[in-house]
Amino acid sequence: MPDFMRKFIGLLLIFAAIGVASCQALLTSCSPDASVISSALPR
Amino acid sequence: MGRFLLLAGVILIPLTALILLLQRGFRVMAERYQSAPARLPSTKGFLLFLLPLPVLLAALVALGRGSLGGLLGNAAGYALFLAGALLLRHGLLSEGEFARRRVAKAPWPLKMVGSGVIALATGVTAWLGAHYPPAMAGAFGLAALLGCYLNYGFDPRTAKRFTDHDGVDTTDRVLEALEQAESSIAAIEQASRDIRNTELNNRLQRIARLARDILKLLEEDPRDLRRARKFLNVYLDGAQQVIEGYAKTHGRVSAPELEDNFRRVLITIEEVFSEQQQKLLESDVTDLDVQIEVLTTQLKREGVI
Repeated sequence: MPDFMRKFIGLLLIFAAIGVASCQALLTSCSPDASVISSALPR
Repeated sequence: MGRFLLLAGVILIPLTALILLLQRGFRVMAERYQSAPARLPSTKGFLLFLLPLPVLLAALVALGRGSLGGLLGNAAGYALFLAGALLLRHGLLSEGEFARRRVAKAPWPLKMVGSGVIALATGVTAWLGAHYPPAMAGAFGLAALLGCYLNYGFDPRTAKRFTDHDGVDTTDRVLEALEQAESSIAAIEQASRDIRNTELNNRLQRIARLARDILKLLEEDPRDLRRARKFLNVYLDGAQQVIEGYAKTHGRVSAPELEDNFRRVLITIEEVFSEQQQKLLESDVTDLDVQIEVLTTQLKREGVI
């Protein structure tokens, strides 16, 4: 795999995993009943 | 949920590409201005200090709302993120040092440990902070680990060994000599802090800088160690003893003669160190000249020239 591609995928994964987990933690802690995930999931 | 993922993808992909392009641009600029005297501290691994900031905010919000579970979960997650980012940054810096040297021991696997701690932090935050199910939180952790591995790589595992022209492995001896020289320079710098004289301090700073430059030349090419033996064993040790002695004495005794003598010694040390540096640089040029001559003779013999 070319170096640029490897780094690009790595950075994307870091953003996706850490970014989403930390923003979701903030949303959960700000939401009144901690139901952010359940409201986002399809019914 | 689908729209959320689409939106995240639309934002994340161009953002990642932009960061990589900026990194490449900075690297090119750094190479162009390599001779700049003042160097800013490296920004390696800085992203991992910025990305988890929302977790800190989440912990503060949980504290404000009196939610103990949220506070503990987010605080633990953020503490782990911080520890992992620090370990990873140290790992990246020591990897840079390892790459620069021609002889070096394999560094501690700080990048690997840091990546593991960051993966744990992501999992803990996703589980306790964002209330994802444990299996999903584990998947977040694995994704973070894979991302760290792909983006930063893992630590070098084999030492860079050095053998002299007789084929003897002298890695340990070279490393010991370099470590000893480094501690002598550190002792000189420490002693210069105790001397309250701007002129002498400036001279001492110049001496320490020269000694470090010589050490850098030796690190880059340990074959020069033989040529610099006198510098390492006699001059540097002697300079350290004199400077430490003056730093201890001058506060108690006020003698202008002593200060003049010390100044003269410092001037001599500076000259000797400059000569040593020049000699090493010249020997590199001589080595290159010899190599060019050998190659030219060989090419002539082969009938290429």
